[in-house]
Amino acid sequence: MRTWMLIKIAFQSLRANKMRSLLTMLGIIIGVAAVIAMVSVGDGAKAQVSKRIHSLGSNLLIVRPGTRRSRFVRSGSVTTLSDKDADAIKRMIPDIRYISPEVSKSMQLKYFNRNASTNVLGATSTYPAVNNFQLDQGRFFDINDVHANRKVVVLGATVVKALFPGQNPLGEDVKIGGINFQVIGTLKAKGQSGYRDPDDQVVIPLHIAQRRLFGIRYLRSITIQVAAASKMDAVQWDVTRLLRKRHRIQPGAQPDFNIRNQKEILETMSAVTGTFTMLLASIAAISMLVGGIGIMNIMLVSVTERTREIGVRKAVGATYKDILLQFLVESVVLSVLGGLIGVILGMSASWLISKMGSWQTVLSLQAIGLSFLFAILVGVFFGIYPARRAAMLNPIEALRYE
Amino acid sequence: MIRLEDIVQKYTMGHSELTVLKEVNLHIPAGQFVAVTGPSGSGKSTMMNILGCLDRPFSGDYWLDGDLVSTLDDPSLAGIRNQKLGFVFQSFNLLAKNTALDNVALPLLYAGVADGKQRAEYALERVGLGDRMCHRPSQMSGGQRQRVAIARAIVMQPPVLFADEPTGNLDTRTGDEIMEIFDDLHHSGTTIILVTHEPEIAERAQRVLFLRDGIIERDTFTQKALAA
Repeated sequence: MRTWMLIKIAFQSLRANKMRSLLTMLGIIIGVAAVIAMVSVGDGAKAQVSKRIHSLGSNLLIVRPGTRRSRFVRSGSVTTLSDKDADAIKRMIPDIRYISPEVSKSMQLKYFNRNASTNVLGATSTYPAVNNFQLDQGRFFDINDVHANRKVVVLGATVVKALFPGQNPLGEDVKIGGINFQVIGTLKAKGQSGYRDPDDQVVIPLHIAQRRLFGIRYLRSITIQVAAASKMDAVQWDVTRLLRKRHRIQPGAQPDFNIRNQKEILETMSAVTGTFTMLLASIAAISMLVGGIGIMNIMLVSVTERTREIGVRKAVGATYKDILLQFLVESVVLSVLGGLIGVILGMSASWLISKMGSWQTVLSLQAIGLSFLFAILVGVFFGIYPARRAAMLNPIEALRYE
Repeated sequence: MIRLEDIVQKYTMGHSELTVLKEVNLHIPAGQFVAVTGPSGSGKSTMMNILGCLDRPFSGDYWLDGDLVSTLDDPSLAGIRNQKLGFVFQSFNLLAKNTALDNVALPLLYAGVADGKQRAEYALERVGLGDRMCHRPSQMSGGQRQRVAIARAIVMQPPVLFADEPTGNLDTRTGDEIMEIFDDLHHSGTTIILVTHEPEIAERAQRVLFLRDGIIERDTFTQKALAA
């Protein structure tokens, strides 16, 4: 009965000061909305990053030649990874689904009078499976093409757009480094991922690329697709051991290659985006704290302004507890209302960001719940001091206050 | 109804101690209309604060309606103010942003009364403001505001009503109207204690207490009381 009455009194006085109530709530509103919006942006970035990493293919180990160090001097060319390494890995290590040795170089493509500078990739028939590429038209080259050294090429979507606008490229010849390659297929677009466009490339058989175009015998990288996520670490260990042995690396010495584990990349990236989210959320939380101080400030002003009112209330029978609770309820009502408005505003902001900025956002129930709870706590915490001030007023002095 | 026995009130101001009431003894029977007068600084406000249970005496006993209230704790005093006492102030002391009805209903809220609205309406009708219930104080004249304050003071139907210069901010004619309400309340049995410095107002009571320097210097019945 009495509690209900206090809530009624609190609403009465908040309604009597609508503008001030709204302004007081503003800090909390912005704080809660900011936390929710920021966390949704951060979580969206996290989801995007992990989606992109997965779009590269799954359960991947990428072996690259490392910078070989002799004393303090880093030698520039990294020519240590060979076709034979790839063959050995494939032959000797279990639990590998596919293995894709690759070389690449940026080169000029020509089709009649059209030019395109793109990344020319030499790879084997396992390339699309490992790197999660789908064929758009035609076919990818198979083992026969590779062994027969056929000069065939599969074009990435960006290259198709540049060289064959509104035209079917299948069967046409494009010139790469003065050699004609026949287009046998095109890849489906993956879409931009970060700074690199995965569709701006063409793929040709590995040996032709190495011998006829680039004039090299080594590999840029070996991408290994492991049969299962649980085997990643074991395979990485086996590959490391095998390559160390083959490259005659002394125990304890730096290897001349490095292996990147997709799982690790994913973990690193989500750690980075997690930190990013925490940073955004903590900045927003600070604004909530400032909002709480705003509530305290206004409540203190309100206590001073309503000294007489408090005197009257005490004269007609309000106790210390009544006044304390009245002002506490007022600040809690302010923060709860502010929190609710903040939740709505934060959710709309997150929706708006995803609509306008082509930026994915993910609403986090946890963030909504926590920020709302925090708002209430802020209201109680910053409401106690002004409420005590009000409740401790002496009724005689309060009535005499001008 | 009211009995003060050897009431002493002291205040410390800095290092000096100021005795404002010096062993005041007073008995007011139920239903009496008493006016309190005296020059400023005579201790009448202090006495009113003690009588109104807003303050506790330094020493002495205060009996109100059979209770020794001078020893009660703050929540009990708040309960007494709510149930047994009504206050009317010189400057009305209404809540500016609330309607007349809400103002009058205030004591009922703290009493936890369920049918508050009806009782507040009844109190407002009794002071002749049945048609002004939803007005705010700023939309009312001084006389009307004081009527709202009286309605608030009587809404709990307290046996004792305190009025501190209730006509001090009003012109003579409006003051007369307010005094008529007090007369009316007095006739219906309410004990009224009224502070005033106007002799004509004091004459409307039954008994006049004249305070000076913390003691009751004169305690007389008015012409009106003697005539009755």
